[in-house]
Amino acid sequence: MSSIIIIAITAIVVLYLGLYKVKSALLPVSVLGLLGAAASLVCVWDKNISYFNDMLVFNNYAIAFSILLIATTILIFLLSGNYFEKISSNVAEYYTILLFALSGGVVMVSFQNMSMLFIGIEILSVSMYIMAGIKKTDSASNEAALKYFLMGSFATGILLFGIALIYGATGSFNLVQIAGKASEQPLLFYAGVIFMLIAMTFKVGVAPFHFWTPDVYQGAPTLVSSFMSTVVKTAGFAAFLRLFGSAFTSVPAIWTVTLVVMVVLTLLIGNITAAFQQNVKRMLAYSSISHAGYMLIAILLLGQASPNAILIYSVAYSIASVASFGVMVAVKEQKGSDDLSAFNGLGRTNPVLAFVMTVALCSLGGIPLTAGFFGKFYIFGVAIAANYTWLIAIAVLMAAVGIYYYFKVIIAMYLRESENSESIQLSLAYKFVLIFCIMITILLGIAPALITNIL
Amino acid sequence: MTEQLAWLIPVLPLIGFLINGLGYKKNPKGLVGLVGCATVLGSFILSILVFFDIKANGAKTIDLYEWISVGTLKIPFSFLIDQLTSIMLLIITGVGFLIHVYSTGYMHDDEGYGKYFAYLNLFVFFMLLLVLGSNYVIMFIGWEGVGLCSYLLIGFWFKKTEYANAAKKAFVMNRIGDLGFLIGIFMLFSTFGSISYADIFPQAQTASTAVLTTITLLLFVGAMGKSAQLPLYTWLPDAMAGPTPVSALIHAATMVTAGIYMIARSNILYVLSPISMAVVAGIGLATAIFAAVIALTQNDIKKVLAYSTVSQLGYMFLGLGVGAFTGAFFHVMTHAFFKALLFLGAGSVIHAMGGEQDMRQMGGLKKHLPITWFTMLMGTLAIAGIPPFSGFFSKDEILAHAFEVSPTIWAIGVGGALLTAFYMFRMFFLTFNGKFRGTEEQHHHLHESPASMTIPLIVLAVLSVFGGFVGVPEALHGSHLLNEYLSPVFGQSTQILNAAHHGHLSHETEYALMGASVLGVLISIFYAYTVYVRKEVVPAAETAPRSGLEKASYNKFYIDEIYNAVFTRPLDSLSQLFYRILDKSIIDGVVNGFGQLTQWSADKFRRIQTGYIGNYLFMMVVGIILILVFNFLF
Repeated sequence: MSSIIIIAITAIVVLYLGLYKVKSALLPVSVLGLLGAAASLVCVWDKNISYFNDMLVFNNYAIAFSILLIATTILIFLLSGNYFEKISSNVAEYYTILLFALSGGVVMVSFQNMSMLFIGIEILSVSMYIMAGIKKTDSASNEAALKYFLMGSFATGILLFGIALIYGATGSFNLVQIAGKASEQPLLFYAGVIFMLIAMTFKVGVAPFHFWTPDVYQGAPTLVSSFMSTVVKTAGFAAFLRLFGSAFTSVPAIWTVTLVVMVVLTLLIGNITAAFQQNVKRMLAYSSISHAGYMLIAILLLGQASPNAILIYSVAYSIASVASFGVMVAVKEQKGSDDLSAFNGLGRTNPVLAFVMTVALCSLGGIPLTAGFFGKFYIFGVAIAANYTWLIAIAVLMAAVGIYYYFKVIIAMYLRESENSESIQLSLAYKFVLIFCIMITILLGIAPALITNIL
Repeated sequence: MTEQLAWLIPVLPLIGFLINGLGYKKNPKGLVGLVGCATVLGSFILSILVFFDIKANGAKTIDLYEWISVGTLKIPFSFLIDQLTSIMLLIITGVGFLIHVYSTGYMHDDEGYGKYFAYLNLFVFFMLLLVLGSNYVIMFIGWEGVGLCSYLLIGFWFKKTEYANAAKKAFVMNRIGDLGFLIGIFMLFSTFGSISYADIFPQAQTASTAVLTTITLLLFVGAMGKSAQLPLYTWLPDAMAGPTPVSALIHAATMVTAGIYMIARSNILYVLSPISMAVVAGIGLATAIFAAVIALTQNDIKKVLAYSTVSQLGYMFLGLGVGAFTGAFFHVMTHAFFKALLFLGAGSVIHAMGGEQDMRQMGGLKKHLPITWFTMLMGTLAIAGIPPFSGFFSKDEILAHAFEVSPTIWAIGVGGALLTAFYMFRMFFLTFNGKFRGTEEQHHHLHESPASMTIPLIVLAVLSVFGGFVGVPEALHGSHLLNEYLSPVFGQSTQILNAAHHGHLSHETEYALMGASVLGVLISIFYAYTVYVRKEVVPAAETAPRSGLEKASYNKFYIDEIYNAVFTRPLDSLSQLFYRILDKSIIDGVVNGFGQLTQWSADKFRRIQTGYIGNYLFMMVVGIILILVFNFLF
């Protein structure tokens, strides 16, 4: 709980700092606040504290995911150095809104009561609607914000409807009590579950409710997209699993067939469409859809191993995404484009950037000795344990397609010649984040046991 | 102590690799050499400490972390440091350090200096991993790692096509062996449910002999590749394309003995399978003789040493096969000393000759390269098996065990030893005695090598002379320290073997055997002396007519050509056939079909993403309706 308070206070302090034009203090204060929030979480590890009549419960699951969300946010903040200043004059608002979004994310991973789930999702979503449209003069950014908002509110409506139905069936918002009374009004209850399923799959961008993702990711400023594809997605999946793993496990899994179809559709659409893209940012947007498909497998086949599988996948995916988005921002800044051709010859002009990108893409593709390999490995392990071999076959085939489009970038970087040979200058913090990300990626690829057994 | 510091032994060279590898363009030469040598020296010092710790307190297992844990498969990243490992550590880091020092002189003018040291450090890292691992998977990582470094270093001067081809050949030949090794590991896991030594060896006796025979033969296939035994040895002579210190370190002293280490490590499995023991001994003996016969007629100084390495490795396998585990391992050790010495000496000669390797161009180098001459003489005496040089004791121990199993094997083994003495002294006399046969320019260029190269030679010469005293047999009133030290590793196997058959040789028999082999070797050396010093015979030129056996030996029994005709060419034609029919039309068709299907469907999928929010919402609603209908009406 204290972490949420610290994040919220930091956000307000940052807003005031902006008001008094202390621009140089924005980043340090935000990062310090976040470190404080993370520290307060570490202190309550294994304590299982609940707040406000079990509205929020900070068990280890909540703490692990909260720390991941905070860490990812810190990395993105460090990348943003002067990025925000270039695209807008109101820099403080960026930090503030992202911090508020993060507090919503922490609520989403620690809720024990469906009203808190709703509040968390709304805090996060409303912040993100604003962030998507923060480039006020850019029509693409505005379009992204409007689309996101319209479709998001549509999904919110469905979520509320689902919560209402479940409340009608069980008379409670509390996950534990819902699980206890699930079988009393089966029809109402199942209808509620299906509506919540639809809403949650929308929030994490699973087909056929993925339409917002590519357009919003492309329209929004790149670092905001990276926040969406990491923090927002991780929080969404953690909430999804928390909801289904604790409240709905007492009834037969009627959602299985629906989710299987969604997984297959998501994997197909995400990967195959990504293969077609010539724009790296859009390619990453589609590939983030496909990653949602892999993570959904762990929810589809709820089991003991699911929380850990999702956590490993989220960690691997988040750090690799931050690194690849970071490289993309740097390239775009110099070349003015994030098309595939902008990456030509990067291996020669900027060996470090190219190497970071290569490791990040290998991790996203699931190549061994990177964290991404073990992310997929444990997800597939969940499916194998549930005898879904055919699903794994599809997932592996689609992972191969993934390798194809990730390697298009690597090929461009190393085998194509670039037109100009100027190297890109990066600030120290920027380099630190990129190298930190790939070091973690490789470390977890060599020693996955560091995180495989914590949940 | 060991627990806290042992992990540093492999990590130090890895750090050296990172420093030299990342800065291979920028680091100044002095720093490169310093980092390269100092890291290995650090490992050597730690290895000495570990050695005494193990001697005092026995074997240790050091768990670093759980690496992979899936279902019943658990692969810990942990080290097992016992007597066998600690001696290997000393050999690798000790000889490795000397060769690093030597390299600072030998490679000084090479433009790839930084890259060279990076590779060499990486090699030491993987080799240490190979011997430190507490299970077969870690060993396999090291095994593959040293293979990679060997490939990189053989092809170090990759701009010459034939060198690059030699590197490829080594890699492919090793892959054939690795496949066997890998299947062996899989079978070990399926039989014993674990890949850790500590789990497998105690329950070895529960497995059936047939299973053990299959496993051990598969592992031996791996050893054949890595340790260059018939029929997979052809890569090693070609591997001489790499820089000479590399030949000394990787292709003589350390990597090629990995196969022997692996079998010595798995000794209990082999002992329980008499068939495998016989196969190992048979292949070892055949290789020892075969390679020695080829070495008789080679004119390239490094080729002679290469075939001699193959032959000596054969002796080591013979030792393993007849149950002389300590003897085989003893020979690994002494061979590391004298063969590294001989290679480095040859390197010094080649250095002085300005890159010339053909002995027909040499001669009379004794007065120009006195230190090289003297140290190489020590090495040659050691490999020939003259007492009390180190090679005598180790070879004698193997041959004595062979005699216990069968006098015939002993006789053939001694025959090989005579050939060894002959070709080694042939090489020695052709290089150092007689008149100089090279060009005027080469003659002018002749010089003794710098101290960085001669000091390692001297140290290795001392080791080659006195190294054998750790294993003086009982018959000569020695106490065989090595045998005592290694007894915890091989104790159980020795018991099983002793229970099965043959008693010990009497001291009189041992004296007779030693006397016979030493006498034979002396005659053989004398014959070489008569031919190459007294009569000053110089081997005939490339094109000169040769008689039947000589011609066959000169042409290495046409093994490369036979492999070419029997395997490579039919495979080539088959692959051509497959390429035209199967690949071009069928597989390409399917693959391209998938590609086109992907492209086509991507195009279609892309069109769904219209950008119109109305369409999106419409499709979402359709999706929701479908889900509801599906879930509630069916």
